[in-house]
Amino acid sequence: MKSRYQDENLKWIPILIIAIYLFPFLIKNATFSYKYYLYILNMAGIYIILTVGLDLLSGFTGLMSLGHAAFLAIGAYTSAILVDQVGLPFELSLIITPLIVGIFGFLIGFPALRIEGMYLGLTTMGFGFIVKRLIIALREWTGGSAGLQVSKASFFGISIKNDWDNYFLIYTFVILAVIIARRIVQSKLGRAFMAIRDSEQAAQASGINLAKYKMLSFFISGLFAGFAGVLFAHTNHFISTDHFDILLSIFFIVMVLVGGIGSIYGAVLGTLFIVLMENLFIPMFEESMAQIIHLKAGEFQVFIFGLIMLLFIIFQPQGLYGMWLKMRIYWKLFPFNPRKRFT
Amino acid sequence: MSELLTGLLQESISGIALGCIYALIALGFTLIYKATEVVNFAQGEVMMVGAYVNFFFVTQFSGMAGGLNGWVFLAALFCSIIFAVFFGIILDYIINRPLKDEPVFSIIMATISLAIILRSLTAMIAGPISLVPISPFGDSTIQAGGIVISVLDLAIIISAIILMGLFFFFFNNTRWGIAMKATSEDSEAAQLMGIPVKQVYRMVWVFAAIVGIISGVLLAPRMALLDTTMSYLGLKAFPAAILGGFGSIPGAVVGGVILGIIETVSMGTLSFHFAWIKEINDIIVWIVLIAVLMIRPDGLFGIAKVKRV
Amino acid sequence: MKRIVSIIILSTLFWTGCENREGTPGITDTEILIGNIQDLSGPIKELGLLIPAGSNMYLDYINEQGGVHGRQIKMLVEDHQYNPQKSVVAAKKLIEKDQVFCLYNVVGTSPAEALRPILEESGVPLIAPATMSSSMADMSRQAAQYIFHTDAGYDLQTRVIIDYILENNPDAVIGLCYQDDDYGANALQGCAEAESNHSISVQKEAFQRGATDFVGQTMNFMKGGCTDVIIGGIVREPVTIMKTAQAMNYKPNFYGLMPTVDPRVGLLAGEVGEGFIAPYHAYYPDSDESGPTLYRELCDKNNVPAKMRGIYHYYGFATAHVLVEGLRRAGKFPTRERLIKGLETLNNWESGVFPPITYSRNDHTGVESLYLLQLQGGKQIAITDWRN
Repeated sequence: MKSRYQDENLKWIPILIIAIYLFPFLIKNATFSYKYYLYILNMAGIYIILTVGLDLLSGFTGLMSLGHAAFLAIGAYTSAILVDQVGLPFELSLIITPLIVGIFGFLIGFPALRIEGMYLGLTTMGFGFIVKRLIIALREWTGGSAGLQVSKASFFGISIKNDWDNYFLIYTFVILAVIIARRIVQSKLGRAFMAIRDSEQAAQASGINLAKYKMLSFFISGLFAGFAGVLFAHTNHFISTDHFDILLSIFFIVMVLVGGIGSIYGAVLGTLFIVLMENLFIPMFEESMAQIIHLKAGEFQVFIFGLIMLLFIIFQPQGLYGMWLKMRIYWKLFPFNPRKRFT
Repeated sequence: MSELLTGLLQESISGIALGCIYALIALGFTLIYKATEVVNFAQGEVMMVGAYVNFFFVTQFSGMAGGLNGWVFLAALFCSIIFAVFFGIILDYIINRPLKDEPVFSIIMATISLAIILRSLTAMIAGPISLVPISPFGDSTIQAGGIVISVLDLAIIISAIILMGLFFFFFNNTRWGIAMKATSEDSEAAQLMGIPVKQVYRMVWVFAAIVGIISGVLLAPRMALLDTTMSYLGLKAFPAAILGGFGSIPGAVVGGVILGIIETVSMGTLSFHFAWIKEINDIIVWIVLIAVLMIRPDGLFGIAKVKRV
Repeated sequence: MKRIVSIIILSTLFWTGCENREGTPGITDTEILIGNIQDLSGPIKELGLLIPAGSNMYLDYINEQGGVHGRQIKMLVEDHQYNPQKSVVAAKKLIEKDQVFCLYNVVGTSPAEALRPILEESGVPLIAPATMSSSMADMSRQAAQYIFHTDAGYDLQTRVIIDYILENNPDAVIGLCYQDDDYGANALQGCAEAESNHSISVQKEAFQRGATDFVGQTMNFMKGGCTDVIIGGIVREPVTIMKTAQAMNYKPNFYGLMPTVDPRVGLLAGEVGEGFIAPYHAYYPDSDESGPTLYRELCDKNNVPAKMRGIYHYYGFATAHVLVEGLRRAGKFPTRERLIKGLETLNNWESGVFPPITYSRNDHTGVESLYLLQLQGGKQIAITDWRN
């Protein structure tokens, strides 16, 4: 079964990539507020790079991280400081910053060797708070709570000025990130991660060096997050610690969860779903509801978000990707679907 | 020198009071974890709901009684506890029914989403304007040898001790308590032994709700304004619960008190003498937590779980 | 299959139909569309309810009188939850999707600062950002020519208070309790200025936004022997600090920065708050100037409940005056440039709510003077005249 689907997958991928690149032109012709939609997609793209890394850590290796917004923050601020204050060119920052964030990943991976499960989740949460505070404390470089203006990116001479350019820059890297992540998952590294998730004792008994692979998992997810951080800083042009709080970390985990833990495509779908839902669907829903029920705008949005999250956890624990797989198998087997399987 | 000591003592007492609040919230966490292995991220929100509900009752009753007096507060407290029982049953219904076979991770995420829902629901119902809480003890304070402690703080400390004593007794000396401990170790074996697991879960959620609401009632007057940011204190109680070791009731209280003292002393005396400490005041609890976890991964009083393959 | 898909893709590429936008966005023959971004569900959601309500009250009043040059003013409010990232998303939605004419009253320093790149890119003015940080009026920053500030900065307030303290007591030992974020950073700037002007040193204690316990800071002020303590908080902080100090038998003079002029401080602190002094940069809602009188009339007419009336509601009301005047001066066929030029013609303009405002090409500060109010018997009484 796997090889059949493998073939089909490969055929769709080039078309998907071309579609991604053509998408902005489509939107530009469709509506005059295309810049806004591009901006939302850009945000989703940056978050996709991060959640793919997070999925590798939490979904594939089973190490829960409730502080991933901190890695994003470290990446963003590091790149801002390197490019604006130290004078590094943007292309170099794209390479160095992820490495630095990966090293921070190592640092937090160290406690992970001894601490497990829920305790690890709370440790990473604490890490998130500590990093946020430290960024404020280093105010000479980071601008403290007031935030930092960041310069625009310039990639090999092409200056990236607005949302249009941002889109192409970001989604090129999104495609790369997804491909790399899939490669990792299908390699020895990925198998080691999954073994650790399923049973640490069995993995150890099979000769997998727990310490090495756990640290590696943190390092890699740090790389992805750092990369996302660079893009975040240089496409948003303003970063401040108010944004990188515990709520954002929870959002990331929700994106991974809703998309389906343990699936790279799931992380992509989940992120897209959450970002689009928050920025497009809920406001549209609200506008139509506003006629019926007079509700205070902001709270209702948050309420719906929490409700959808709860409903997903209750009814679709495999997430969006699980739903997609079920649909695909249903379609394949039609009309011979065994009744019990799809209730 | 004695001024330094008086200062430290004053801060410590204030820290103990703060710590007892953390301890009460941590008690709620610990109760649920002890029985169901679930970490209830919504405990802070339960506390917030308790504060709002109590405020509602107080204003209603004082309106009926034509003024504030001791009976109003007692009646409000009583009604709040009854509300807590129902609230706990509802929460149990939402969390435990649909999710009984899911991995713990999902249930924890469910409590996180519950926290979000509760917070926004409260804001929608109560409106965005902050409320002015009314303290049953007014602003009265007791002075003892240069140290000032407010009656409210004293009440908090006493309640924490009483509740801890009650639950400790309950878990070790009553049938239901031991049943709960058994269920947390292995729910299937407990079922086989005839323990009604669903009822145990419901009971434990009701207890946690009661504890949460009492802590809300006690904490509200300590804050000058009441609004939904109160629930973030719940997050701060996490280090307290973990420090003491999840699953240990005296641990939760000890952890809470230690953290409360560390926080107040660092904000006061330590910041005065070492200026750089000012920077890390609010995260000092997390730093302490991580340090402790690295040395004793199960917390100070926690028992290392034996891993079965 | 592949062929069909590629044909579809190529044909959509050739599909023209880019909508053409004639005229200035946000302006039609009958309407002017204004964008407002508030904190509707975050830490200061209270303000998100009160400030736009006040603005809308005044805008409705103007609309009833025929609007500005025959156009009705309509305000859209978006939520940013005090998150600068969300503020950017909200601004993009308002500018690109809803096509507003200008932005107004964006609340919070970092959410407002985050908008600078967008303002620059799209040329949209931001009128009266609802934050007292003087960085908004700093002309050296990006997009400063698009921003028109109406508040007296925290640094100005701190400096004025310190000047006042030293005037009355040259030997005063001063302490400043500040919030550790952009609010406090701005206050510290003013403090540093005052320190160098008077060659004194001020004891500074920080607290985190949202903190509830101030025993440590109060004890430190006591140990430092401070006779006058300035509190850079909002409502909870001054009340808690004064009560804590009272319990410790520590009785310095207490002052606060402008957000503490909220009457709830007096209400909550009770007799502990007696003598508390705070600055204000507009005519007080209870006074007899034309602006406050109109405010009270409109509140009564619209049945605004008592708990909503207060300085935040009044703030929205007052800043709306500046917006409307700017729209008036932009003329019958307003464009964004004309709005900016129109506002820059304001010279000692009497609004009835603020002291005379002057804007020029290089000065977008707005209000540069304050007066001090003191809590006496539960009411706030002005004790000084306008000073800067």
